[in-house]
Amino acid sequence: MRSMSAGTKMVPDTNMPSGAAVFFDGKTSARHQALVVLAPEALLVATPDGRMLAEWRYDELQELAAPAAVLRLGRRGNAVLERLEIFDTELAAAIDTRAPHVDRTGLSQRRHRGSVIGWSVAATASLLLVAWFGIPALAARIAPLLPVAVDRKLGDAVDMQMRSLLDRGNAGAIECGAAEAEKAGRAAMDKIVQRLEAQAALPGKLRTFVIRKPEANAIALPGGQIYVFRGLIDKADNADEVAGVLAHEIGHVAHRDGTKAVLQAGGLSFLFGMLLGDFVGGGAVVIAAKTVLQSSYSREAEASADAYGAALVNKAGGNAHGLATMLSKIGGATEPGMKILLDHPETRARVAAINGIAAPKSTTPFLDAKEWAALKRICAE
Amino acid sequence: MTDAGAAQIGGVRFLGSRRVYWRLLLRGALLLLLTLGVYRFWLATDVRRYLWANSEIAGETLEYTGTPLELLLGFLVAIAILVPVYAGFFLAALDLGPIGQMSGLIAFLALGVLGQYAIYRARRYRLTRTIYRGLRFHQDGSAWAYALRASLWWLATFFTLGLAYPFQVASLERYKMRHTYYGDLAGRFDGSGLRLLLRGLPMWIAIVTPLAVTVGAFIEVVDWQALADAAAAGGDDVMSKIEGSNPAIGGVVVFALLMAGAAVTLAAVLYPAFEALMLRWWSSGLRFGDIEIRSTLRTAQVYGAYMRFLGYSILFCIVAAILAGVALLVVGLLTGGDTTSLGGEIAATATLLGGYVVIALGFSTVYRATVKLSLWQLGMEALQLSGLPALDQVRASGRASSALGEGLADALNVGGY
Repeated sequence: MRSMSAGTKMVPDTNMPSGAAVFFDGKTSARHQALVVLAPEALLVATPDGRMLAEWRYDELQELAAPAAVLRLGRRGNAVLERLEIFDTELAAAIDTRAPHVDRTGLSQRRHRGSVIGWSVAATASLLLVAWFGIPALAARIAPLLPVAVDRKLGDAVDMQMRSLLDRGNAGAIECGAAEAEKAGRAAMDKIVQRLEAQAALPGKLRTFVIRKPEANAIALPGGQIYVFRGLIDKADNADEVAGVLAHEIGHVAHRDGTKAVLQAGGLSFLFGMLLGDFVGGGAVVIAAKTVLQSSYSREAEASADAYGAALVNKAGGNAHGLATMLSKIGGATEPGMKILLDHPETRARVAAINGIAAPKSTTPFLDAKEWAALKRICAE
Repeated sequence: MTDAGAAQIGGVRFLGSRRVYWRLLLRGALLLLLTLGVYRFWLATDVRRYLWANSEIAGETLEYTGTPLELLLGFLVAIAILVPVYAGFFLAALDLGPIGQMSGLIAFLALGVLGQYAIYRARRYRLTRTIYRGLRFHQDGSAWAYALRASLWWLATFFTLGLAYPFQVASLERYKMRHTYYGDLAGRFDGSGLRLLLRGLPMWIAIVTPLAVTVGAFIEVVDWQALADAAAAGGDDVMSKIEGSNPAIGGVVVFALLMAGAAVTLAAVLYPAFEALMLRWWSSGLRFGDIEIRSTLRTAQVYGAYMRFLGYSILFCIVAAILAGVALLVVGLLTGGDTTSLGGEIAATATLLGGYVVIALGFSTVYRATVKLSLWQLGMEALQLSGLPALDQVRASGRASSALGEGLADALNVGGY
C-alpha cells in the first residue's frame, strides 16, 4: 500500500486496496510500471507518479491466460488489447471478489466445461441414433428418387472392376454359355429368367451371366446385372432352386439395394469420418462402427430380398421352397464368427421366413428334365 | 511483488509445471474418449493456453486468446466446404471414362493442395491469437500462393528423394516469416537451405544407402524380361511363375527386407538428432526487425526427452497389460457360453475396442507430455535474443482472423499444436 504524491489527477485514499502492476496500453509494446487502486466502482490504473492510465469497471474485467502466479486482466469485448498484470496475490484476491467475471477458483470454468461435456455426449448419442435408424431410412427414401440411369452407371462401374478381378488371363472365357456345347444351357437359363422377369415389373432389363467359378454364390449389381457362379448350379438339385436364388437377386435389383448401400456407406463415412473421431485411436472406432452398422443394413436388405424372391416365385407359379433348400445347402448349419458382423441373417431364420411365404399349391416346374440337364452343363467348356 | 524474469531480460524461460500439464492431458484424453473426439477443440485450446502462458520472453509471457468455440465453428464451416468437394470426387469416381480412372489421383493432389492452404490459414489463426505485451502477432500474404509454392516444393522433394527438403523448408519459412508481424514489426527468415542440407546430409546418406544397395541388388539379380512375361501371362499362379523364371529372387527379397529393416531402425535412432537439427536451424533463422534469435539447443537434450518417453512408455505398457488382462477376462465372461447373445457380442466388441483406444490414447498422451512438451521447453530455453531495445516501440497492427484454416486442417488431418 502506497500513498500518492499530492497534486495528481488520482485522489489517494488509503482505505482503498492498492498495489503495483504492469500495464500495457495495447497501442504500443512499451511496458508501464503502474499502480492499481481498487476504487468502489472501478479499478484505477495510474503511473507511480499518479497520472491516470486507465479506469476499468469491475464488470468489464476479464481474466486471461497467464502463468499460475500472475493475474492477467483485460476488458471484455475490447478491440484494443490493453493488459494489466498483477503479481500480488492479495491484490489479485481483492479484484476477484469485486469482479463478477473473474473467477480464480475455476468454478465457473468447471461448470462451463461440464455443460460442454454433457452436450458432446448427447451429440455423440444422437449421431449414433442417426446412423442406426436415420441413414437406412434416408437411403430407402432417396434411392427410389434417383433415376434408374444412376443404378446402371454404378452397376457398370462395379462390373468393370469385377471382370478385371475374375479375369482368368489366357485360361478361357469367364462367362459360360457362349460355346456351342453350352448354348442349350444358356437357353434354359433364359427361360427361367424370362418367366421371373415377366412377373417382376422391373424398371430396366435384366442381364444374367453364368461365371466359371466354383463358389456357390450369386451376385446382383445395381441396374439389373446378375452373376450366377457355376458352383451354385452344380449344387442345385432342381430348376426351382436356381429360380429361387435368381428371384432373390432380382429382389436386390428391384429394391435397388446396390444404390442404397452406396448411399449408406457415403452417409456413414460422412457421419463418422468427418464429424467424429479425429483423435488417436479414433480411426479404429470409426471402422468398427461402420462395419457393424453396414452389416446390420445388409442383414435387413438380405431378409427383404428373401421375402421378395419367395413372393416372386409364388407369383410365377413356381415352388418357393427351392430358395430355402438351396440356402440351407450353401449356408450350412451354423456359421462361425460374430453375429453382429454377419452380412446375412442366420440361415435357419431365413429358411423359416421363406417357408412361411412359399405357397406351392399347383406349381409348374421352371424347366423340364431335358432343359434342366442342359442347364447343368452350361459350363461344359 | 515479484517482477517475474526481471533479472533475466533478454532470455527466454519456460515457467510451466509438468504436473499441471500431465493433469490437463490426462483429463483431456478421458474426455476425448467419452465424447468420441468432440472434446479436441477444448483440449487444443487448453494446451495452447498452457504453453503460451508459460513461455516467458524478455520478462513477459505470451498469451493465447483463441477459444474452443472458434475452433468448433471453423471446423463446421470447413465441413460445409468439404462436403460438396468430397461429393464431387465421389461422383467423378463413378464415371467410367478417363476422369473416373484419374479421380483418385486428382482427389489426392487437390486435397494435398487444400491441406497446405489450411496449414497457412491455421498459422494465421494461431498468430493472431498470440498476444505479447498487449500487441497481436499477425500474418498477411496469400494462402493460395503459399499452397501452390508448398505443393510444388513437395513434388521437388519427392522426386529428389528428399534432397530438396532443406531448400523447401527454407523457402516456405521465408514466405511465412516475410508475411509475419509482431505489431508493426516485420518478421523475416535468415536460415540457409544449403547449410541445413550440409548438416543433414550424413543422416540422409546413412538412411538412403541401404535402400540404394537393395535397389541395386534387384537390378543386378532379377531377370526383368522373364518377370515381365510372367506378370503379363497372368492367371492364378503368378507368384510361382515369377519364382520359376527367377530362381534368385527369394534371396534378394530376404536381403531387401533386412536392408529395409536397417534403414527403418537407423531412421528411428537418428530421428531425435534430426528434430534437434531442424529446431536449432529454424529458431536461429527467425528475425523480427532488429531482433535476432539464436538457438543453442543441444542434440543430447532431445535424446534425453526421448529417453523419458521410453521410460514412461514402459511404465504405461505395464499398466496397459494389466488393463488388457481385465478386458480379456470380461470378454471371456461375455462370450464364454455356447449361445452368445447379440448384446453380449456388442459388449465384448465395445470392450476390445475401448481397450485399443485407451492404449492408443495413452501412448499419445505420454508422447505429448514428454517429447512434445520437452521440445517446446528446450526449444524455448535455448533461445538467445539480441536487439531487444526494438521491443519498446512496436505499435499495434493487425486484426484477429477466422478459424477456418484450423477447421480445414482438422478435417484434412494436417494439424499442428
